[in-house]
Amino acid sequence: MTTGTAAAGPVARITAERVGKWFGEVIAVNNCSLSVGAGVVGLLGANGAGKSTLFKMLAGLIEPSHGQVRVLGARLRDQVGWYRRVGFCPESDALPEWMTGREYLSLMLRLMGFDRAETATRVARWLERFELTAAGDRRLGGYSKGMRQKLKLAQALAHEPEVVFLDEPLNGMDPVSRRAAIDLVRKLGEEGRTVLVSSHILPEVEAMTDRIILIDRGRVLAEGAVAEIRDKIPEHPTTVALVSPAARALAAFLIGHEYVTGVRIEDRQRVVVHTDHAVAFYRALPGWVLENNLQVDEILTLDDNLEAVFQYLTER
Amino acid sequence: MHESDLSPADDPGTGKMPTPLPGLPAAGWIAWFSLREMARRKRLVSLGLINLLPVLVVLAVRLWFADRGITAHLQLAGLTHDTFIPFLIPIVAMAVGVSAIGEQIEEGTIVYTWTRPVRRWTIYLGRLLAAQGVAGGLLSLSLVLCFLVMVAGRPGVISWDFLKLYLQTFVIIILGTLTYTALFAAMGTFFKKPVLPALLFAFGWEKLVAGIPARVQELSLQFHLQNLVSRPQSVPEDLPGMLAAILNTAMHREPVPTWQSALVLVLVAAAATVLGVWLLRNKEIEK
Repeated sequence: MTTGTAAAGPVARITAERVGKWFGEVIAVNNCSLSVGAGVVGLLGANGAGKSTLFKMLAGLIEPSHGQVRVLGARLRDQVGWYRRVGFCPESDALPEWMTGREYLSLMLRLMGFDRAETATRVARWLERFELTAAGDRRLGGYSKGMRQKLKLAQALAHEPEVVFLDEPLNGMDPVSRRAAIDLVRKLGEEGRTVLVSSHILPEVEAMTDRIILIDRGRVLAEGAVAEIRDKIPEHPTTVALVSPAARALAAFLIGHEYVTGVRIEDRQRVVVHTDHAVAFYRALPGWVLENNLQVDEILTLDDNLEAVFQYLTER
Repeated sequence: MHESDLSPADDPGTGKMPTPLPGLPAAGWIAWFSLREMARRKRLVSLGLINLLPVLVVLAVRLWFADRGITAHLQLAGLTHDTFIPFLIPIVAMAVGVSAIGEQIEEGTIVYTWTRPVRRWTIYLGRLLAAQGVAGGLLSLSLVLCFLVMVAGRPGVISWDFLKLYLQTFVIIILGTLTYTALFAAMGTFFKKPVLPALLFAFGWEKLVAGIPARVQELSLQFHLQNLVSRPQSVPEDLPGMLAAILNTAMHREPVPTWQSALVLVLVAAAATVLGVWLLRNKEIEK
C-alpha cells in the first residue's frame, strides 16, 4: 500500500483511507489510500487492476468493504446533494438506446437542477463542443462507440463540476476526437477542477497529466509525478544514453562494469547503457568520468516515461 | 442552479452543503422519461396481444353464444374473476415490473441517474410509477375494448348497475396492477435474474395458496382481488357449475370483508415499495 498526498493539490478533494473491496473471495481493491487535489491525476493500471472498482467506490456507486472515501468532504453514497458538484463518466458503454442525444443530455441536466432555458443552452453548447450537433436528434442506438463516448463525457461535464471522474474516457474515439478530449481534460485541470482519469493506455495518461496513481492487483503501487515515482524506486532498470566524442573508449570502459547490464553504440557518438541499478549508476558515473578521463557531453534518460515506470512496478 | 454554485474555487468545508433536488419533481421527471422508454419496448407488442384475449372471449360470446343468457354483467364479472385477476394482471405486472429497476441496474444505465443529486427513493418511485402506468394502461385498454364489444349496438346493456360494476372492475384491476407491479419491481431490484422467482410467485405460490382451504388462502393476492369482485349470484344448473359450488363450499372459500382485502392490497403495495427503495439504496452498481 502506498499512502501519500503527492497527487494532491493544496486541498484534497478526493480522499480514500485504507479502502478495500471484496467480491466474495476476490479482492478487487486492497487497502488503498489516496488523496487528490486540484488538477488532473491519472489512475493507471492494467485491465482488471481495480481501477473501475476504486472509481465506483469514490463515486458512491459501491460501498467499500472497509475504509472510507470522501469527495469534497462528503460521502456521496449518502449525501447525494453533492453530486451537483461531481461529474462521472463510467467505463460501461450502456446508454438508453431509445433516447436521442439531445433528450438524454437534457434529462441529465434537468436532474442536475437546471431550468428549461439553461438546460437548452448547455445542451446546445456541449453537443457543439463534441461535434454532435448534427447527430443530436438521432437515437443513441444508432451512435458509434466514439459518439457514445463523447456523449458520456458531455453528461459528466455539462454541469461544470468541480470534481470529475473519467473512467477510460477515450475508449473508441477517433484520433482527432481523442486529441480534443485530451485538451479538454488538461483545460479542466488548468481551471482548478479535480479530474481523476483512468486508463490502461499509458500514452493517453501521459498526454493528459504527469501526475499518476499506479494501481495493480487492487493495490496502489505508487502515487505522484512520474519523476517522483522513479525517485522512490531505489533500484530499477533504466536505459541511459551518454553522448561522447569518444564513444568507443567510453563503451569499452562501461562493459562489464558494476551496475551495467548492456552497452551498445549508436550514431558513433551515443553510448546506450542498460542498467538494473539506476540510482547507483547515476551516483557512480561522475566519479568514473573524472577518475578515468572519460568524455561525456550529455546524459539522456531514454525511458523516463510512464511506460517504463509502469512496466517495472507491475512486473516487480 | 446558478453558475456560482459550481464555482471550482469551493473547497471542502468552504462550500455550502448542496441539497438534493426536490423529491416529487425529480420522481416526475424520471417517471416521464421512464414511461416513454417502457412504452417503446418490443415486449409491449406481445403483452398487447395477450391482453386481447378477454376481448376475443367477449366477442366470441357475443357472436356465438348470444342466446345462452350470458349477460354482459355476468361476462364482466367472470372475466375479471377468472381471466384478469389470476392470469392477465400477474403476467403484465411481471413483464413490466421486474425490469422496471432491475434492467437498468443490469445494463448499467442506472449509473447516470444515480450520479445526479436526486434521492434514491425518487429514482425508485419514478421508475415504479412508470411501470405501473404502462401495466395499468395495457390492462385498462383491454378492459375498455371489452366494454366496447359488450355494449356496441346494444344500448340497453348500459344500465347503472352495469356501469357501477364496470367502474368497480376498473378500480380492482388498477389496484391489482399497482400491487403486483410494486411486488415484482422489488423482486427485480433484489434478484439478478428475477424472472424465475417472479414466475414461481405468480403461478406457484399464488395458485398453491389460493387453493388451500380455510384462511391460508388469504396469504395470496389473488384471493383478495377476487374477494373484491362482486359476482352476480347464479344458481348452478349444469354439472360443472354444481361441482364448482361444492368445491367452494368444501374449501371454505369464505369472503372476508371488502375493506380488509383492499387494505391488504394497499399495504402489500406500500410495503413492497418501501422494501424496493431500501434495496436500491443498498444496491451496489457494479456495471
